[in-house]
Amino acid sequence: MTHLLQIEDLRVTFNTRYGEVTALDGISMQVSEGETLGVVGESGCGKSITALSVMGLIPSPPGRIAGGAIRLNGEDLTKASEARMRELRGAEMAMIFQEPMTSLNPVFTVGDQIAEAIMLHQNVSRDQAFRDAIALLDRVGIPSPDARARDYPHQLSGGMRQRVMIAMAVSCRPKVLIADEPTTALDVTVQAQIFDLLNEIQRDFGSAIILITHDMGAISEMADRVAVMYAGRVIEEARADDVLDFPQHPYARGLISCIPALGKGEMAETLAEIPGVVPPLHLLGSGCAFADRCSHRQGRCDSEQPRLIAHGHHPAACHAVEEGRI
Amino acid sequence: MSDETTLQQPTEYQAESPALEAWRMFRRNIPALVGVALLTVIVLATLYGTFIYSGDPFEIVWAPHEPPGMTPEFPLGTDYLGRDIIAGMLTGGGPTLAVGAVAAAITMVIGIAMGALAGYYGGWVDNLLMRVTEFFQVLPALLFAMVLVTLLSPSLFTIAFAIGVVSWPQTARLTRAEFLKIKNLEYVTAARAIGARDKRIIWTVILPNALPPLIVSATLTIGVAILFEAGLSFLGLGDPNVMSWGLMIGANREYILDAWWPVTFPGLAIFFTVFAVSLIGDGLNDAFNPKLRER
Repeated sequence: MTHLLQIEDLRVTFNTRYGEVTALDGISMQVSEGETLGVVGESGCGKSITALSVMGLIPSPPGRIAGGAIRLNGEDLTKASEARMRELRGAEMAMIFQEPMTSLNPVFTVGDQIAEAIMLHQNVSRDQAFRDAIALLDRVGIPSPDARARDYPHQLSGGMRQRVMIAMAVSCRPKVLIADEPTTALDVTVQAQIFDLLNEIQRDFGSAIILITHDMGAISEMADRVAVMYAGRVIEEARADDVLDFPQHPYARGLISCIPALGKGEMAETLAEIPGVVPPLHLLGSGCAFADRCSHRQGRCDSEQPRLIAHGHHPAACHAVEEGRI
Repeated sequence: MSDETTLQQPTEYQAESPALEAWRMFRRNIPALVGVALLTVIVLATLYGTFIYSGDPFEIVWAPHEPPGMTPEFPLGTDYLGRDIIAGMLTGGGPTLAVGAVAAAITMVIGIAMGALAGYYGGWVDNLLMRVTEFFQVLPALLFAMVLVTLLSPSLFTIAFAIGVVSWPQTARLTRAEFLKIKNLEYVTAARAIGARDKRIIWTVILPNALPPLIVSATLTIGVAILFEAGLSFLGLGDPNVMSWGLMIGANREYILDAWWPVTFPGLAIFFTVFAVSLIGDGLNDAFNPKLRER
């Protein structure tokens, strides 16, 4: 079965003052129509760079796609012209950003902004586009959309703005919808509403969703498949249930044990945490990037990069798993 | 009864655009309103004053250096050739203001175009355009403007053009700084993510957000340009065929010790005009700057 969007061995490098650093080191993932792929990891592990690479929005220079392919319906986006990418952006694939506070243009009404997005890809009059915008606002659950369309972004709450962003993103019924931490800036009740909305949109439009998050709770609620990223690599990839119930890689285990378990008998005295931070990319050695923070570290971990291969349950990139030590 | 909560009908509030909000702030700023009133009086006087008080500013009508208040026909007196000063003031205002406005417009067009392209594209485009900008910035402005006016022969438009050509670097730098700041904001990336092209992002996404400081700068540029025109005229590089306040000062400067009035009245007119424009500029600055707004 061919996937709608397929990322194959993608390498992205950045020129920095430390020399060339590899932000994405041969990542592969895929997502099919109507499916939600969750991409999890801490800050700085390459989740957002993955999203921007798909959209062709890597700041370049300093960024550069150094290898691999991103196939949308078989078409390699890494080789597409800028003009072709502009056609695809918004129409075939769209993105929802983390900060609804800053991702809307403050000087135009939200209705105008959605109408603009529609007019970029569809040959309709401004009036028609504005009417479509109102219909979209209604669709994403904004009350009295007629009046709200004439509001400026600062007059709406964070949740409302994120709905506006979603309306804008789905205005041309994109096949792939990338949501980069869409609920991080919102409070928990609004978060659940936004997830419900994304699920509805997916049911109606059949879009594939790539949900980027560091929140395992969001993954369990939304994702069909999960790719766990660490320091520019995918270190574990499987169906969401498998990763959540049987995490293999020590990092994935750590992430999952960080979810506070409510109502499971007595509360743990302290919340589990993973010691340390993601190492700076320019300091990565030849071994496993997680070795410094890992309790299963052994000689081989420092010298040899583990590969993402199935060991029993599902693919994970870890020597300890490979050797059956954990 | 009492536990029954009356649901208040939400009051339909008027959507307020950032521009409208700025205008509301501006309206509360007394000095800025004084500036508007002053400028309105000056503009009306220069536009319609000649209908009430007609007279050829170049015509010799009386004895030279008639002091003000001595002759009822010529309340502000006459200059060194015996020309009516009021007639000069009223007809000279229009060209002075026009030069100021046109020069400011030229400054803004060149400055915004250069600054926007440099700030948005960065890299070698930025380097090239900024070196050009610096080249214009290090030339002594007055000398350069004098050279341009002399080469192009003095006329109102060449004077405005020369002033524009020497004044745009500041606007370019300001525009570039605003673009550098705004181009990395998320809504610009968001605009790109829905497929907008560079042209659209520069002019309809970033520029409207960069406008407030540019509008303030444009207003202040009008004042500077009026002073500049006066300076050029004072040095004898004004358009000799068109009366302007600067020309009046320039023509009468040699006799300033014998007669103060032919220089002082146009000087005051320039002072009040620039003052009014500056008050408006400061008012706009306050209105656009959310940090200075008291709620």
